[in-house]
Amino acid sequence: METIVSAEQVGKQVEVASGTLTILQEVSFAVAAGESLAIIGVSGSGKSTLLGLLAGLDLPSSGRITLAGEELNALDEDGRARLRGQKVGFVFQTFQLLPGLTALENVMLPLELAGNAAAMAQATALLERVGLAQRLDHYPKQLSGGEQQRVAIARAFAGSPALLFADEPTGNLDAATGGRIIDLLFELNAEQGTTLILVTHDDKLAGRCGRRLHLDGGRVVADESKNGVRK
Amino acid sequence: MNRLKLAWRLLLRDWRAGELRILFAALVIAVGATSAIGFFTDRLQRAMGSQSAELLGADLILRSPRPVAETWLTHATTLGLRHSEALEFPSMVLRGDEMRLAGIKAVQDGYPLRGSLRISDTPWGVERAGDGIPPPGEAWAEARLLPLLGLEVGQALTLGDIELKVTRVVAFEPGGGGNFAALAPRLLVNRADIEHAGILGPGSRISRNYLFAGEIAALERYKRWLMPQLEPSHRLVDVREDRPTVGAALERAERYLGLASLAAVLLAGVAIAMGARRYSERHFDVSAMLRCLGASQDDILALYLPQLLLLGLIGSGVGVALGALVQAGLFQLLHELLPVRLPPPGLLPALLGLLTGLVVLAGFALPPILRLRQVPALRVLRRELTPLPLRAWLVYGAAIGAMTLLMGRYTGSATLTLSVLGGAAAALILLGVLAWLLLRASRALRHGAGVAWRYGLNNLWRRPWAASGQILAFGLTLMAMALIALLRNDLLATWQAQLPERAPNHFVVNVLPDEVARFESFLQDHAIDSAQLYPLVRGRLTAVNDTPVEQVLAPGDDGGGAVNRELNLTWSNTLQEDNAIVAGRWWTAQDAGQPLVSLEAKLAERLGARVGDRLLFTFGGGSELAVRVASLRTVKWDSFKPNFFVIFAPGVLDAQPATWMTSLYAAPEQRAAMAQMVREFPAVTVIDLERLMEQVRRIMEQVTLAVEYVLIFVLLAGFAVLYAALQSSLDERLYEGALLRTLGASRYQLRAGHLAEYALLGLLAGLFAAAGSELIAWQLYTRVFQLDYVFKWPLWLLLPPIGAALIGAAGYWGTRHVVRRSPLAVLRAL
Repeated sequence: METIVSAEQVGKQVEVASGTLTILQEVSFAVAAGESLAIIGVSGSGKSTLLGLLAGLDLPSSGRITLAGEELNALDEDGRARLRGQKVGFVFQTFQLLPGLTALENVMLPLELAGNAAAMAQATALLERVGLAQRLDHYPKQLSGGEQQRVAIARAFAGSPALLFADEPTGNLDAATGGRIIDLLFELNAEQGTTLILVTHDDKLAGRCGRRLHLDGGRVVADESKNGVRK
Repeated sequence: MNRLKLAWRLLLRDWRAGELRILFAALVIAVGATSAIGFFTDRLQRAMGSQSAELLGADLILRSPRPVAETWLTHATTLGLRHSEALEFPSMVLRGDEMRLAGIKAVQDGYPLRGSLRISDTPWGVERAGDGIPPPGEAWAEARLLPLLGLEVGQALTLGDIELKVTRVVAFEPGGGGNFAALAPRLLVNRADIEHAGILGPGSRISRNYLFAGEIAALERYKRWLMPQLEPSHRLVDVREDRPTVGAALERAERYLGLASLAAVLLAGVAIAMGARRYSERHFDVSAMLRCLGASQDDILALYLPQLLLLGLIGSGVGVALGALVQAGLFQLLHELLPVRLPPPGLLPALLGLLTGLVVLAGFALPPILRLRQVPALRVLRRELTPLPLRAWLVYGAAIGAMTLLMGRYTGSATLTLSVLGGAAAALILLGVLAWLLLRASRALRHGAGVAWRYGLNNLWRRPWAASGQILAFGLTLMAMALIALLRNDLLATWQAQLPERAPNHFVVNVLPDEVARFESFLQDHAIDSAQLYPLVRGRLTAVNDTPVEQVLAPGDDGGGAVNRELNLTWSNTLQEDNAIVAGRWWTAQDAGQPLVSLEAKLAERLGARVGDRLLFTFGGGSELAVRVASLRTVKWDSFKPNFFVIFAPGVLDAQPATWMTSLYAAPEQRAAMAQMVREFPAVTVIDLERLMEQVRRIMEQVTLAVEYVLIFVLLAGFAVLYAALQSSLDERLYEGALLRTLGASRYQLRAGHLAEYALLGLLAGLFAAAGSELIAWQLYTRVFQLDYVFKWPLWLLLPPIGAALIGAAGYWGTRHVVRRSPLAVLRAL
């Protein structure tokens, strides 16, 4: 199958007061289109940093990352932004909805940025799909956590991305609500044929992914698929 | 196009969400205050201008000894100016055997072009506004001419070859009276009669006054056109030149109003800078999300710059409308104090207001908005990531650039703008360091402070640069307010001193030597306030250090009228109160009889005369007197008191024939006493200045009014700005306050903490403002307003506690939400 994102010997160091801190080292793997991958590990194992690098939000200190056929190191920030706009959607633990915009406007935003003339109709349809037809004009403040995450999911799928990155999408939700969010995420993923890469602590969520990447101390310690351990 | 639409939609969404409120309010206040001041001063200036013109009888007068080229007059007509010609010359008038020198003024229809004559039917009788001019064959005379000729209203006098019937008494004549040199009483006649009178032979001393009136712009154009063509004997006079008191007052008032506008702009800038910073910080997340969704850095700018521009246009528009409204309301309130017919507000202040709004926004809000471009996309995962702080030069450069632009516009002088700005920039750096040092020094307070106070004060010390910025903002606001208040006080005091309640309103000349004692007791008996009586000796200055005067002066210079004609010389033991010795010394009792003079400083400069130089005077009958310059004096010519170019030491002029003169104040109820004085001392000449002074006083009242109300505008703008600035500093404190509450801090502790923090901020801002005001006021007083500057110690006493109280109270009030609402609600709302 076609590879949509790959990491080769990726390392990340940051300068801190006491010297250099290594967050990731020698991380290599590839994800095929349509796959679902969970990145798991304890706090501080480098999961979120890896997600940020894969999505092109940051650049690795060493190694290469290729996203949808383009090498991220070769692109400047604006180039990576363009790539994100075309290929990538995001869902966050803290939802990251813009507080000044209604649910509908939040979902419209990526469509409007892409100059989509039918932004409102498409955003409305997506919100109906995630079960928020009655909540279009509500502000994030007026929505429950689960509802906010639904809006965020609708926004993530608005640009019909090839790849969806999710950072602890259920981290701020109770088990029942989280369960429904996971269902929704996988339904949409299946409908749209999106590649899903998510970071989670949640075993139930990780268990629903086709593949799990274990990080520990910034290294990949296990890479298992439902069919068995690969590495 | 799409981007623009999106920008508009984002702006609307932000507006609805309340994100723009502070920035918008700051902008509206800023533009509202500046344009209210703009409208107000524009109208008042035009009103004052027209009042002043009434004093002169025209907007502009060209004085010439000869007829001017016909094209000069036709060009004025082309420009839409009205004009009228008035001839002035001295001539003898006769009535039977009585013969007197009168100042003839021959006028045409249309005179005066501005204001009106005041006339009465009998000498010292009830006055009314005059209509028109004397018809041919008639003359209107000044009251004091009538007893001199033994003439009554209705009788005729002879001027040259013609007889004129005196039909009215002239009480006030625009552009005429009040000139102390013009001693001859006025006779107003029709221009048409002069041709037949046969008195204007070649060589007669005639002054042709060409009066012009019209639109300010047309007058300016005409002046520019005319100036290069003028000969040395021509004089172009407007009210500023004609009445130095009014001129100086108008000029200072204009500068004050300009400065007040500038203060309002500066205040606005501070508020907008703080509002924009808050706006920018609250949009970090939005920008990060937009970047995450694929927006490039240029996209971010393309989204936010049009928003800023739209906000600027709308906010400035609303501000201008508000300013116009405030101004209209103000005039409504003041209509009793103001002239009846006020020109409507012009369009220029509205345009200026819009422009000011945009420029201030660009200077103060653009830098923080530009920061949005650099928000890293990774912030969506790691909220602590913020864009790099802007380079200081960018922030201050933009602000200073905007201020330079506006200052240049408001002051209209490049050198003034640059010198004030240079000083201000230096002061800003100095004061920035000072703010930081003050903050450091205040850490000593921490010992012995309770937990709440320590928490509050720690808030400041933890972020010294942010706190310094706030001190700067609050300090600048207090400083602008203090400066405008300070200037107002000193300007008003200066004007009050120039025109005290009972300033002399009459000059009395020609008191005969043997009548002096009787005259003095007459004044005493009738309780009339008068200045000292001065002897008057007529004499000519003929040589300086043995060089004839004509060769000393620059060609065409007549020494300000002090040379080549008889001077009024006097002697005195004491120096007039408002004169000041600038070189040499005033004489003592031992110098009596020594050939010494004290010379007016400006005349001395023109003559090139210094202390110790020899002057030669010639008197009637041919006697000569050589004297030495003992001192140079400055003189306040517009004080309405007797003043002299040359004062002799006592005893030197005893051999010369003298008459005596003084100035006095006669209250309205003392008019009868004045009439009695004229009867009892027939030789005495009384010159009435009352009408003139009333006009001057009315103009001064309006100027004062303008200054007072503009101060109120500035103060209001200042308070509004303080509030806006405070609001934008609240977010972080609200968040921390809510956190502390969840950790168990009591309401009391939180409130005391906030109070301590803001009070200290206010105290330091007050100190900063005192230092800044002292520095800038000193520059302004000495360079711009020509006022004496003394150390303003009350600033240091007042500003710090005012700052602490004001900002402490506002902060205490502003943070009350944290304490009232549940911490959860606060945390969720942020």
